[in-house]
Amino acid sequence: MNIRSIRFRLTAWYASVLAAIFVLLGALFFIPLRRSIEGIMLETEARRARQIGNFITGPFSPSAHSGLAETIERFYAPERNSRFIRITRQDGTVLYLSGAPEDQTFAPAAVPVAEHWPARSAARRQALGSGPALLLAAFRAPAPGGGSYLVEVGTSSLSVDRMLSRLGLLFALALPVVLVVVAGGGYLLIRRALRPVDLMTGKAELISHHNLDERLPVAPSGDELERLAEALNRMLGRLQDTLSNSKRFLADASHELRTPLTVVRGELENLAQDPRLAPDLADRVGSLLEEAERLSKIVERLFALSRLDAGEAQSEWVRFDLAGLAAGTADQMGLLAEDKRISLTCEAEAPVPVEGDRARLKQVVVNLLDNAIKYTPEGGSIRLRVSALDGQAVLQVSDTGIGIPPEALPHIFERFYRVDQSRSRQPDGAGLGLAIIKSICKAHGGEIGVESAVGRGSTFRVRLPLAA
Amino acid sequence: MKFCYDGRAMRILVVEDERKLAEMIARGLKAERYAVDLAETGDAGLAMAETYNYDLIILDLMLPGLSGQEILRRIRAENGQVPVLILTAQAATASKVANFEAGADDYLTKPFAFAELLVRIKALLRRGPVSQRSVVRVADLEVDRLAQHVRRGGRRINLTPKEYSLIEYLATQPGRVFSRTMIVEHVWDQSFEGLTNIVDVYVRHLREKIDADCPQKLIHTIRGVGYCLSEEPRA
Repeated sequence: MNIRSIRFRLTAWYASVLAAIFVLLGALFFIPLRRSIEGIMLETEARRARQIGNFITGPFSPSAHSGLAETIERFYAPERNSRFIRITRQDGTVLYLSGAPEDQTFAPAAVPVAEHWPARSAARRQALGSGPALLLAAFRAPAPGGGSYLVEVGTSSLSVDRMLSRLGLLFALALPVVLVVVAGGGYLLIRRALRPVDLMTGKAELISHHNLDERLPVAPSGDELERLAEALNRMLGRLQDTLSNSKRFLADASHELRTPLTVVRGELENLAQDPRLAPDLADRVGSLLEEAERLSKIVERLFALSRLDAGEAQSEWVRFDLAGLAAGTADQMGLLAEDKRISLTCEAEAPVPVEGDRARLKQVVVNLLDNAIKYTPEGGSIRLRVSALDGQAVLQVSDTGIGIPPEALPHIFERFYRVDQSRSRQPDGAGLGLAIIKSICKAHGGEIGVESAVGRGSTFRVRLPLAA
Repeated sequence: MKFCYDGRAMRILVVEDERKLAEMIARGLKAERYAVDLAETGDAGLAMAETYNYDLIILDLMLPGLSGQEILRRIRAENGQVPVLILTAQAATASKVANFEAGADDYLTKPFAFAELLVRIKALLRRGPVSQRSVVRVADLEVDRLAQHVRRGGRRINLTPKEYSLIEYLATQPGRVFSRTMIVEHVWDQSFEGLTNIVDVYVRHLREKIDADCPQKLIHTIRGVGYCLSEEPRA
């Protein structure tokens, strides 16, 4: 999963905000809940304390409190009900103290005496060491003979603690489940909302200059994504216009140049062969002819490029053996290399089947070899290799030539690019050869790459899809 | 005058709206002793083609009025036999195929060398009973096209297959200049277009084998134009 995706980031934010709200809500919920439950319990205890207080000071009070313990045991059964009851006289004498409760939730003797007697009644939460606290209500009852009694009735907070901790556990268990459900739901929702983006991305990847007439899918949702898709489509439209204008210009220009060039060449050829022409003039006419020839070549190559751009190479596709083609071409060009005392070796034994325009791919081999021969000094060597590798046909031309400077490498496949002035002196080079090679490779679903070291040589590598 | 079997001059119709190009072609063809008629529009071209029985029609594709394709279609619909050479600025393979299907006999893309136009015209006109000689002689050079042998002064010269194709091509019309582009396309193939220095290298090797030991040089360079095989020395 891509943790940088909008989908993931939104979901993560969403889930963490939700978790924070959950914890905050829990805290805001638990504290008042405990307080209100304990309040209710303390009220009950306070009522009991009042009852006991009224009883022991009332007309039916057990004389000399002799039956006090008995009465309280009978009415309240503190041990069985886990209740704490203590009656203290003002002088500090404890008149009654309930026994240890059956469930052992607290030790009555350990409950400290109240430091300040309340004017009438009070309630407090008495912590008892590590065990549960005691919810304690106190009632001050005036004694008939003057003075007063303090009646304290309490109950353990254990049940509240237990209830709350169970609730807390439930909460803690529910939180991850809720989080997962909510985050998953959120993720799916966001994915649904971003689905048009996926579709647009997939389509945009497929659009190149060959199919600029295609458009991104527009989901009629009326949202920002619809606007984005429409804006991108309008941009594609403008790009298409620009590109088709420049393509048309290229085609028109090379087309319009053809007829005048034919006339120029024809007239000059005629002139060059005129016996009345003095030798020095014939030489100048010859020079003009060479330039006219070069112009023709540029026009021809520009036209070839515009045809390749239009995807014309697809019309003459056949299946053939690239290794055989390369070996045959190397053989035909052997004399050119031999002429410069360059050793040209060809390693292309096993057949490498590819599909494409045979003449155009041969042109690639011819041009790569011609370049290698041109830029390799006498006595150097050139190696042509064709192999099948990882489902690709790889054609590689390595030379021990002058190499290409690193700063020029990224540009050498651009139209009219020249590495330096010394190369521009090549009469054949219109700076279009490598651009054409690249266009041919692309038209065949392949690519071309180059590695080079100045003074050591260059390696051009063409990769094409293997024919099935 | 070049004559047909019935003794009249070979007559060629040039349908081309670019006046200068048309005139240049006409002048060149007249120098080769053909009779030439010019038509500048499609309609005029069709009318002339229908009136006179031409031996060859050179047809530009882009014309005012009727297009070259339309003219070709109508000519083929009526008599059909006259050879038609198409001139066009479109080199696209698809239209090439379409033109051959429409009945064009040959196809030349502008810009072309006039020498190439002549070679094509001759090839089209020669179709028929005229047979090519099997042995061509230029001075003491002998190119035997049946045995694929080359002799100079009676001595057999060993040539590689490409060298032989080159000399045989030059020998098809002694005295005629062949451009490097024509030679590349004929001796090699279209994939080598632009690689004209290969012609220079092969011609040099050929000269070493054919001309080096003889005072009379037969292979000549015409700067900016190309090469020719000829008895007479050229400028």
